[in-house]
Order: sequence, then structure tokens, then C-alpha cells
Amino acid sequence: MAVARSREVTTMNRKAIALVVVAGVALAGLVSVAFFPAGSIAAVVAVVDANYLGAALRLTVPIAFAALGGIFAEKSGVINIGLEGLLIIAAFVGIATTYTVGGGQAAVWIGFAAAVLASTLFALLFAVVTIEFKADQIIAGLAVWLIALGLGPFTARVIWGTVNSPSVPTLNDWTVPVLSEIPWVGPVLFDANPTVYMLLVAVPLSWYALNRTAFGYRVRASGENPRALDTAGVNVSLVRYKSVLISGVFSGIGGAGLALGQVGQFIGSGQTMVGGRGWIGITAYLFGNYNPIATFGASFLFAALDALQIRIQQIPGLDLPGSLVRIVPFVIVIVVLALIGKTRLPSAAGEHYDSDED
Amino acid sequence: MNEPVVELDGITKRFGDVVANDRVELTVDRGSVHVLLGENGAGKTTLMNVLYGLYEPNEGEIRIDGTPREFDSPRDAIDAGIGMIHQHFMLVDPMTVADNVVLGNEPRSRLGFTVDREAAREAVTDLTARYGFDVEPDAVVEDLSVGVQQRVEILKALYRGADILILDEPTAVLTPQEVEELFDIFDELTDQGKTIIFITHKLGEALGVADAITVLRDGETVGTVDTSTTSKRELAELMVGREVLLDVEKPPSSPGDVGLEVSDLTVTDDRGVDQVSSLDFQIREGEVFGIAGVDGNGQSELVEAITGLDVPDEGRVYFDGADVTTDSRRDRIEQGMAYIPEDRQHRGLVMDFELLQNGLLGSQHDPDFAPGGRIDWATLRQHVEDIIADYDVRPPNPDATAKSLSGGNQQKLVAGREFERDPRVVVASHPTRGLDVGSVEFVQEKLVELRNEGKAVLLVSSKLDEVQQLSDRLGVMYEGAFTDVVDPDDVTEEQLGLLMAGQDADGVTSVPAGDFEAEAEVGR
Ligand SMILES: Nc1ncnc2c1ncn2[C@@H]1O[C@H](COP(=O)(O)OP(=O)(O)OP(=O)(O)O)[C@@H](O)[C@H]1O
Ligand SMILES: [Mg+2]
Repeated sequence: MAVARSREVTTMNRKAIALVVVAGVALAGLVSVAFFPAGSIAAVVAVVDANYLGAALRLTVPIAFAALGGIFAEKSGVINIGLEGLLIIAAFVGIATTYTVGGGQAAVWIGFAAAVLASTLFALLFAVVTIEFKADQIIAGLAVWLIALGLGPFTARVIWGTVNSPSVPTLNDWTVPVLSEIPWVGPVLFDANPTVYMLLVAVPLSWYALNRTAFGYRVRASGENPRALDTAGVNVSLVRYKSVLISGVFSGIGGAGLALGQVGQFIGSGQTMVGGRGWIGITAYLFGNYNPIATFGASFLFAALDALQIRIQQIPGLDLPGSLVRIVPFVIVIVVLALIGKTRLPSAAGEHYDSDED
Repeated sequence: MNEPVVELDGITKRFGDVVANDRVELTVDRGSVHVLLGENGAGKTTLMNVLYGLYEPNEGEIRIDGTPREFDSPRDAIDAGIGMIHQHFMLVDPMTVADNVVLGNEPRSRLGFTVDREAAREAVTDLTARYGFDVEPDAVVEDLSVGVQQRVEILKALYRGADILILDEPTAVLTPQEVEELFDIFDELTDQGKTIIFITHKLGEALGVADAITVLRDGETVGTVDTSTTSKRELAELMVGREVLLDVEKPPSSPGDVGLEVSDLTVTDDRGVDQVSSLDFQIREGEVFGIAGVDGNGQSELVEAITGLDVPDEGRVYFDGADVTTDSRRDRIEQGMAYIPEDRQHRGLVMDFELLQNGLLGSQHDPDFAPGGRIDWATLRQHVEDIIADYDVRPPNPDATAKSLSGGNQQKLVAGREFERDPRVVVASHPTRGLDVGSVEFVQEKLVELRNEGKAVLLVSSKLDEVQQLSDRLGVMYEGAFTDVVDPDDVTEEQLGLLMAGQDADGVTSVPAGDFEAEAEVGR
């Protein structure tokens, strides 16, 4: 019975997530013991300080923003797996615009706006193709990624003669007086990049929008039973357009946050500087079961692992393969999905909606 | 009272070549209950979708309160005071009752973005108090029974200020008790000036609650009759265009060996609660064993265990004496099991497939249809065309998709496919749900015919008259076990009602559920 199952999943969810986290930690522990001499474990632990947490939070920005956007799109019934592509576009346009405009912080903010605009336009394109022309969402999403993966480095080469851009200024951190003096919390939360503040606002706001506003009701209904929404007199396509555009705006902020909040350069080689953060964003919201708060938690977890990996590389005498650490989020998600059976996908996710003659 | 509130004038709606509504005329009076009758595919649902703005008619005029209206979308119809409760509910399962009711018209607070949930809850309580039915506003829809979900649908319409309520086959999925309650709600609504239009296939119901009845056939209006001056027989004839046998003829049974045996069967759900507990029965060849009961008393779980969709937690299932408890669906089909699932849209058909492909389902390994693993399309087409002709599936086009068929015609296709497998054991779960009287007659006759040919037939149905008429022995199921197994000719509806509620009924003669001969034992 459907009733029984859904309840089952929620209680199992918690148990399973707890289990997986424990397993993950144990795994990390095992790996570290196997790879490192005992003394270096202390060195690794010593790495975890306020500085490290601040870095983890910065790394959370692109992942969590992509994930939040993905939640809106998928909750409305449009699976947007093009998030990675949107991040790349935003990162590239952000850097290119800042470079072209030149100058100080104003140029960076102009680049930031341009990045968000570019990502949103790309999302609009994706929305038109999937909602209006009913293209397969997965294929269209892959196309967004592949196009971005080609277009970014290609244009970079045209502009700079190489796939990597020169360095540009980044957004200055904002320091909140007094609060930033609080030990531990202060430097992490109140002496941070503007994009970190944006994220800290966006997470509760997204939760509120989805669960408490009329728009959120419609987004959820559109992904669960679009016919119900249609027969209630609401335009399903419009709701889906708005949701996909939100995923564009959020991914734009995420991509710009990565490029202009931290790196200050576009790196176009390989997977580009985005390096799969959009994909991790997808795993983060699945792991967080579409709850923005839990998704933020998952994003932070994955970002923290990444930050840890970077730090560990810097400890002399340690040789932990970074690629091994990077697969951890994916392993966790596979284990979670396998253990719980499934995260509860919106019933109509991935399906086109046709109001007439269907 | 005789003031027309809805007038449909010359409505024509075409889907490609199919004319679903052909210059239909319908006039409904304010404050009345108006029933739409018609065979499967007669165009009832289509007509109501036109009135609700879901379909745009190709021709014709809609007048509400005498004013011509054009509905481009349900929004326009809602604004004109029309509400519709669909055959398949339009609810968002994981959301609460109150959330569902206000969806699309949410009361707002704080700058107009936030949903005022308190106001939503109050709106629900006000409505339920006013029309005298109770629904918990904070309950999550997927936890509710079908009957309560339907009330949520009614609340949705009322919340939007509907004066005219359209219900598409509202009673098809309800228990007799719930049907009574629904009709009480109808009374309350019409007393307060609302108008009700509903579609049904049950003539008794139509005669019982309707003020007027309009009959459609092949997309055209046959006529509107006053309830006080008509009879079941006349209605059936108007619908089908010929005389219909309302009772199926059934010669005495001559049962043979045990065809299907269920022994000490227990099925638990995900929470570990027994849905079927230690059930025993045998069905002999040439016999219909009926199972009556209120939906949700373990019938679905029992059927799933027998057909191989689920593995029982304890107990065995035997097929001609051979243990098939853990055999796959494919094995069971190959051993001659036919199965009509209760949910034809999810389990019986692939809705986006053509009838042709749907006709192959279950036979895809059969060398007749797929010699050497390659599908023999010519043979398959012939076979599907035969089914379409024999079972009167309309429109008779093997290349139409399953979803373009009306509900009743989908069911006929499934019945045809399963019965034509030349089965030895037939498991039929609500085989006539949503069928019109003519098709009900047909499917019931088929079941009796299969029984006469010596098949073992298990019939699960919530229609009491059906199980009573067709069964040779009748098990009444309550909370996963039989309250009694009775001779259907020797029991009254009242007694069955008591048994279905898990109580003892005085004066009922029980018959054995099984243990007919030792032969089955030997086979093990
Ligand atoms: N979306 C559609 N596309 C193509 N044909 C359709 C569609 N909807 C309905 N039809 C056809 O229109 C006719 C009328 O269908 P409709 O669903 O209105 O019948 P109905 O009277 O409600 O039948 P039932 O009692 O079986 O529910 C049928 O022949 C059906 O196949
Ligand atoms: Mg219908």
C-alpha cells in the first residue's frame, strides 16, 4: 500500500542516512589508516580549524546553489541535469565580462550580473526546448552541459588564445563588525565572501518559498500531479518555466560565486574549473531529499571533503589520491539510494505535460 | 426548479477521425441531480470535459444560466461556477487535505506570497460543517481512503464556489456504504441549491438518486427521460440499442479436480502487518470461486501472491497440484494463468503503446507470436484484430494507443487478451469495474463460459450482485481472512453485508473452503 510505503521511507530515511554517514566516516578513517603513517593523522585533524571551515563554506557555494536550483526545477517536474553546464557558462561569462570591463570591484559585480544573466538565458533555452517542444529532459540537459563544456573553453581560446583566462580581481570579503570577532563562528560566518552570505539567505528562503508560498504549492503540485494543477485553473507550463528559470538564476550565482568569489580565473582545461560541482549538486539534493536545508547540509559535507582533500595534499609526506576523495559523494549517494530504495522523486518528474487531448 | 442552468447545444468534439461527441444536446435544471448514461466510449467523459473547459468543442454552444459562454480553460469554467470531480482523482498525494483544497486559489497573507494555512484549514472546516461531512484538514491525501479522497475533490470544487458539480463515475470505486454517504452529500448539496451532474454505469443508482437521466450512444444524444417514468430495462435498451440480459444465465456447475489451491497463505505489508493471514481455499476446475469484501481487506495482496506479483511470507500456492509459490509471472503465464488486474492502467496496459503491442504483453515469449525471439507482427495483428472484434473494443483500430481508448474499452481489451490465452486458471480482479451494462453482460458471460469449459476461476469483486450471481462458492473476506464461505444462492445481501463487516450472520449455511480430494495431496 502506498500509505505504508511512504511512511516506511521516512523512518528508514533517517536511519539509513545516519548509517551512511557513520559508514562514510569509518571508510575515511580506514583509508587514512591504510595510507598514512600514524603521526600524520594528527596532522590531518589539525587541519580542521576556522580557516578550513571558511574554505569549506566557500566551496559549498557553487554546489549548493546548483542544488537549490535543481530542486526547484525537479520539484516542478523538469529534471535539469544541465546544472553543470549552467555553472560553466556562468563562470566563463563572469570572468570574461570582468576581464573586458576591467577595473575594480564594480567590474567584478558587473561580471557577476552578466554571469547570472547568461546562465538564466541558457536555462530559458532549456525550458523552451523541454516544455514548449517537449524534448527529452535528460537529453536536453546533457546537451546543455556538452554545449557549455565546448563553448566555454572555445570562446576562451578566441579571446585569450588559450583555454585559461588571465587572473581577474575577485569579490572582496565582507566583514561584519563585532560579530566577526566571535571565536570560530565569527571568522567562518561573518568574515566571508558576499556569495556565502547570499547562500545563507537563499537556503532558508528556498525552503520558505517551496513550503509556505502559493508559488511553492504550485511548484510541488506541478511535479506531483500536473493535471491536478491544470484542473485547478493554474497554467502548468508557466509554473515550470519559472522554476527552470530559478534554477538558471541560482546556478548563475553558483558559477559566478566560484569564478568571481574564489578562483578569479577561468580554467577551461579538462572538466573546466567547475569540475563536476553541478553533478555533485544533483547528488546533494537527492541526498537531501529535495529539502533545501538538508541539501545545504549535504553540499557542505561534500565541499568539506573536497576542502579536506586539498589540505591533505599540502601536508608533507602524505600521498592521498585526490581522485579517491572526489568519488566519495557519489559513493555515498549510490549507497543511500540503494539502501533507502529511493529518495522520493516527484511523481511526474521527467514527464511532459499536455493539457489537451491526452 | 425547472429553470435550466446548463444548456449544451449541438456540441461536437472530434479527436482526429473519431467523433466523440456528435451534436449533443443536454439541458440540466437548477437544483437537480442529472445522470449521464451511456456505453463505454459513448462520449460522456468527453462531453463533461468540454463543459469544464478541458477540451474545446469543434462545434456547438455552452450556455450557463442562459448566457452563452466560451471556456478556454478550466479556469473559465470555474469562474462560471462549474466544478468537476474526475474519474481519476486530481489530487496531489503528498500534500494535506487543506493544501489540496486551496491549490490554485490559495488564501494569502504577508505581502500576498505566503499561503495563509490557518485560513485554508478554516475554509475546509467551514465547508465540511456546512455540508455535513467530515474530513480532517491536516490529513495527508495519500493516507486517505478512496471515499474520503473523493470528498476532498468535492470540497475543492465547493471551495472554488462551484454551483454546478460534475462527477465522473463517482461510485465506481466506492463501497456500498460510501455510496450511501455520497448520496447523502448530494441531498445536502441540492437542498442548498447546487446542481449535480454525474456519470454512472449502475442503473439502480441512476434510478435511485437522479431527477432526470440523459442517455448517450455513439456520441449522440438518445434522449432525456424523467426518472419517475422509466425502468432499468428501458434504460439499458436506450443505452445499448438492443435488449440486455440483466441477469447472467448459469448452468449448474460440474466441478472437477482442484485447479488452484491456496494453503495457509500469509502476506504482510512493509510495516509487517498481516494483510492476508493464514488463508486456505481450493478452486476446482469448472468452478467460480468468488471473493466478496470491502476493498482493502487483503484482496489485492491475495491476488498478487497468487499471480506472482508478490511472494507470500508464508504458505503455498498450488496450480493443478504443483507448487508455484515462488514461480515467476512468466512461468505462471506459461502454465496457463490469465489475470485481469484491478488497475488496468498501471498493470494491465502500457498506455502509450498501441493496442497491437498491448495485445502481445504476456505472450512475448510465446513461439506463436515470437518464433525465435522475433515478433511475428502479422500473426499478432490478426490475433489483436480478433480480440477487438470479439470483445467489441471501440474504436476498432489496432494502431490506436491504449490511452486514447475510453476506460471501459481499455478493460475490454485486457479481458480479451487474457481470456484468449486459453488459460486453465483465471484470476479476475474487479473485471467489470467501469464497464457499461452491455459490456458487463459480455464479460460476465465470458467468465461463466470459461467456467463451463472447465477452468478454475477466481473472481474478486466489490459488486455484491456480481459475485453473488457468478460464484459457485463465495468467500467473504475481512481483515485478511474469511469470515465465512457461503453458497451464494443461499445468502441475502444483508447477511453478506454483516459478514463483510466481520460480524456473524445468523442463519447462513457455510460451505467448505477446500479439502475436496486427496489427489491434490498426491501431486505435491
Ligand atoms: N484524448 C483522446 N484522443 C483520442 N480519442 C479519444 C480521446 N479521448 C476520448 N477519445 C475517444 O472518444 C470516445 C469517447 O470517449 P469517452 O472517454 O468520452 O467515453 P465515455 O463515455 O466516458 O466511456 P467510459 O464509460 O468507458 O468511460 C471514445 O471512442 C474514445 O476512444
Ligand atoms: Mg468515461
